[in-house]
Amino acid sequence: MKRAFKHQKEDSMRHIFKFATMAFAMAVAATTIVAGCASAPPLRTEASASGIRAAEEVGAAKVPQASLHLQLAKEEMENAKALAAKDQKGMAVSMLSRSEADAELAVALSREDAEKAEARAAVDRVRQFRQENK
Amino acid sequence: MKTHSLLIAFVCAGIGCATTAPTELVDAREAYRRASTGPAVQAAPAELHVANQALAEAEQSFRDNPDSYQTRDLAYVAQRKAQLAEATASISIEQKSQAKSKDDLQTAQGTAVAKTKQDLGRTRTALAASERNGEATAEKLSAEQEARAAAEKRAADAQAALAKLAAVKDEPRGMVITLSGSVLFASNRAVLLPEARTRLDQVAEVLLTTRERHLIVEGYTDSQGSVNYNLDLSQRRADAVRSYLVERGYQGDLIQARGFGKDSPIANNARAEGRANNRRVEIVIEHEPRASNP
Repeated sequence: MKRAFKHQKEDSMRHIFKFATMAFAMAVAATTIVAGCASAPPLRTEASASGIRAAEEVGAAKVPQASLHLQLAKEEMENAKALAAKDQKGMAVSMLSRSEADAELAVALSREDAEKAEARAAVDRVRQFRQENK
Repeated sequence: MKTHSLLIAFVCAGIGCATTAPTELVDAREAYRRASTGPAVQAAPAELHVANQALAEAEQSFRDNPDSYQTRDLAYVAQRKAQLAEATASISIEQKSQAKSKDDLQTAQGTAVAKTKQDLGRTRTALAASERNGEATAEKLSAEQEARAAAEKRAADAQAALAKLAAVKDEPRGMVITLSGSVLFASNRAVLLPEARTRLDQVAEVLLTTRERHLIVEGYTDSQGSVNYNLDLSQRRADAVRSYLVERGYQGDLIQARGFGKDSPIANNARAEGRANNRRVEIVIEHEPRASNP
């Protein structure tokens, strides 16, 4: 009887130890994983952010087509941040490339609009001068 | 590269590739097609090349991993690059248009300046001519004034001289020299008496100092005799005096002769003395000189 009780006690201890070892191993593993995530480089949004800033500074918000791409750029940058927060770095970086492309296009469309307006004004100036000096 | 990318797309479409290209890639292909057949070819070749490379990258990704987010994002970026090439081309074209308009404006301004300078030159020339003309006019005016003053002096001198020869009176119609009919003509005759010629020589000498004046020789009779007779006699006497003055050198087209008969008596025809006074010849020297009528 005493021998059987002794064997039961030893088995329980082995289980507990095994469990503890597993738990420890899991904790170590979890810590390693967490430590690994904490050291991953953050998402680099500078290029996208500066592109958006540039588009705003040239007045893209006032030009319909440019305004559309400016808005897209902003949304895409936010989407990228959200993806990064979900640890989907690859998709986040890829989404940022969309944002940069839209911001760049917003700047160009804004400039195009300004150049068209200036070209029209220049033509008008010539026409007016010729009329006044017939 | 462009042809290569499009060829892949068409071949895939033609043979019915197992995987359909994502919307982003379809849009990118169309955007590049449009950009590569438009002004961007000439006006934004660098940007168009970048767009071509972006599309090629997207096509490669599509071949490698058709359904991946990388393929869609690369295609999206490729589309934006093609649109960027078009916008850049448009900017370049508009800037060239501005430059041309600037040149046109400068040319038009140059033409206007040249025209203004021409007009200014013409105005200056005209002004100079006008000033010279004004000077000439002033000189002419001065000469005319001098001539007028000289003529007036001559007239005054003539009047004074005539006053010594005959009755002279200044009337509205002119200066009137009255010569007695009995001094000039025999009774009922229209031939100048010898002594009349002497008197008329003296008058003519004075009159010739006022050569430019228009003269009217007027013959008058007394009231005796018929109207027609007196008109005829007075006219013949006026003609005789006129002819003599023309002989003496007075310009013929400046001197007229008129007979008035018994009209305009200056004395009482009821008395012999009055009738003698009415029998007269008057030489009227008009006040203003008139140009001779050819």
